[in-house]
Amino acid sequence: MRYLLNRLALLLLTLLLISIATFILTNILPGDVATMILGTRSSPEKLAALQNVLGLNDPLVVQYWRWIWGILQGDFGVSLRFKVPITTLIGQKILASGMVVALSLMIAIVLAIPLGIIGAVKQNRWQDTLSSGIALTGISLPDFFWGILLILVVSRGLGWLPSSGYVSPAVDFWAAIQHSILPAIALGFGLMAQLTRMTRSAMLEVISQDFIRVCRAKGLAEGNVILKHALRNAIAPVVTVAGLQLGYLFGSIIVVETLFNYTGMGWLTYQGLINRDIPLIQATIFVIATVFMFSNLIVDMIYTALDPRITFD
Amino acid sequence: MSALLSAKGLIGLTLVVFVGLVAVLSPLFIPEALSTKIDVTARLMPPSLDHFFGTDQLGRELFYRVLLGASTSLFIAFSAVALSILLGLPLGVLSGYFAGWTDHILMRIVDTLLSFPAILLALAISAVLGPNLRNTIIAIGIAFAPYLARIVRGETLKVCSLPYMEAIRSQGASNARIIWRHVLPNIMPPVIVQATISVAFAILAEAGLSFLGLGTQPPTPSWGLMIQASRDFLDVAPWTAVVPGIAVALTVLGLNMLGDVLRDVLDPTVVFDK
Repeated sequence: MRYLLNRLALLLLTLLLISIATFILTNILPGDVATMILGTRSSPEKLAALQNVLGLNDPLVVQYWRWIWGILQGDFGVSLRFKVPITTLIGQKILASGMVVALSLMIAIVLAIPLGIIGAVKQNRWQDTLSSGIALTGISLPDFFWGILLILVVSRGLGWLPSSGYVSPAVDFWAAIQHSILPAIALGFGLMAQLTRMTRSAMLEVISQDFIRVCRAKGLAEGNVILKHALRNAIAPVVTVAGLQLGYLFGSIIVVETLFNYTGMGWLTYQGLINRDIPLIQATIFVIATVFMFSNLIVDMIYTALDPRITFD
Repeated sequence: MSALLSAKGLIGLTLVVFVGLVAVLSPLFIPEALSTKIDVTARLMPPSLDHFFGTDQLGRELFYRVLLGASTSLFIAFSAVALSILLGLPLGVLSGYFAGWTDHILMRIVDTLLSFPAILLALAISAVLGPNLRNTIIAIGIAFAPYLARIVRGETLKVCSLPYMEAIRSQGASNARIIWRHVLPNIMPPVIVQATISVAFAILAEAGLSFLGLGTQPPTPSWGLMIQASRDFLDVAPWTAVVPGIAVALTVLGLNMLGDVLRDVLDPTVVFDK
């Protein structure tokens, strides 16, 4: 209980610091919102008037307070580029990104765990070389290049899947899945590679321990020993790595969604950045960092559930 | 050291040395004009004996551009990692060495920065400063610094808890002397491993930033920029994406292999097997 309270306090403090960092970062942006709205050639009087209306002449602390107070009420302001409330935009885009991130996590885990186990069990044989080779390729290919290869081969060459765009699952579920598969593979490949490496090394460590020899000695089937006893003990560090890599994933969605014209949070962030849409940049950065922080919390909880030896009290 | 002589070590080292040589030598031997020469009669030519790696949408030779791209890429990556060490090392050492409040405050700042995905942070910094070569270095350097600070702090804590530290302290050595003579040399191995892997990540980050138009700007030859430009011609000229893509992949692959092997060599807890 005490741990939970501590954790909650730390969470709130981190959220506060994230919001401050986001605000400071976006306030160094040259040019202010008023100039963005009126354009650079507007008269100084008009500019000054709008700056006053928007409160841009207030002290930074006051501006920050207004911003954070808005967020607490679910109001991120209005996007300069899209001319609609940012909260609405984010509401639509976060679902798209959630779908692609979930799919890529699934792909990564489903491929990485068997690959890593094979690598460990068949250590130094061709199966190991193959699985390590795939993993090394995965961490060395830039995600957008891997995405381009997928577009070239799967989409243009074979004509199996669409190479760009997003369809809402509410409109057409099947088309939604089809549009998110390639971005998900592009996104998940790097994560798959990291997880494979981690699974392999964690399994190698566990397999060499005495209790595994005992399992074998008492005549358990090899499959049972590996999948039930060894994997169960090796999985915790793999989950940790998966959690750490989530940050990488949330960064990659900016590149991958832009490449595939997949209109999710990453795409929205990019639109904000290239259009210097300050309120939008603030909102997307803040939301991505917050989601990242919460997913870390979830990973910690999974971690404790997987390994009963770890308690936080 | 035998690990360096393993197949993985040799391949990694060869790749890194090769790309390094290309990066250093190509600006000396290839005049810039060759890589920027526009030839409209030879647009999007496939790789052939006349055009080694093919040409891009402006008829520029990809061969020269990819070779020169190596020096842009490595220059940015090395400078960015150097900057992240310059920022992260003192932060991590101070935090780990002095502990207490210094540690608390510094680590809160580091953790806050770590809550932002590195690429997002780099993109945002680059957008704020205005995208160009120098600011790409600054953006990546700042985005990577907190990771380094974390690792350095952990290693410093480990070193400082060793009994011999107490012995040195009881002899009356000053903090500066202890940090300089005893802490720094002992935390170097993991820092070197992390730096090698960071260079690989920095190359990926530079390519990603440039690909999004928030990194190196044209006409500087950059692998990420080349891949970005290829997007409109994927159907007719896939090599314009594949050639620079392979260049990035081979460089990063080499660095990663070298990083793996260095970790085996420098980290005595990992038992190396051939």
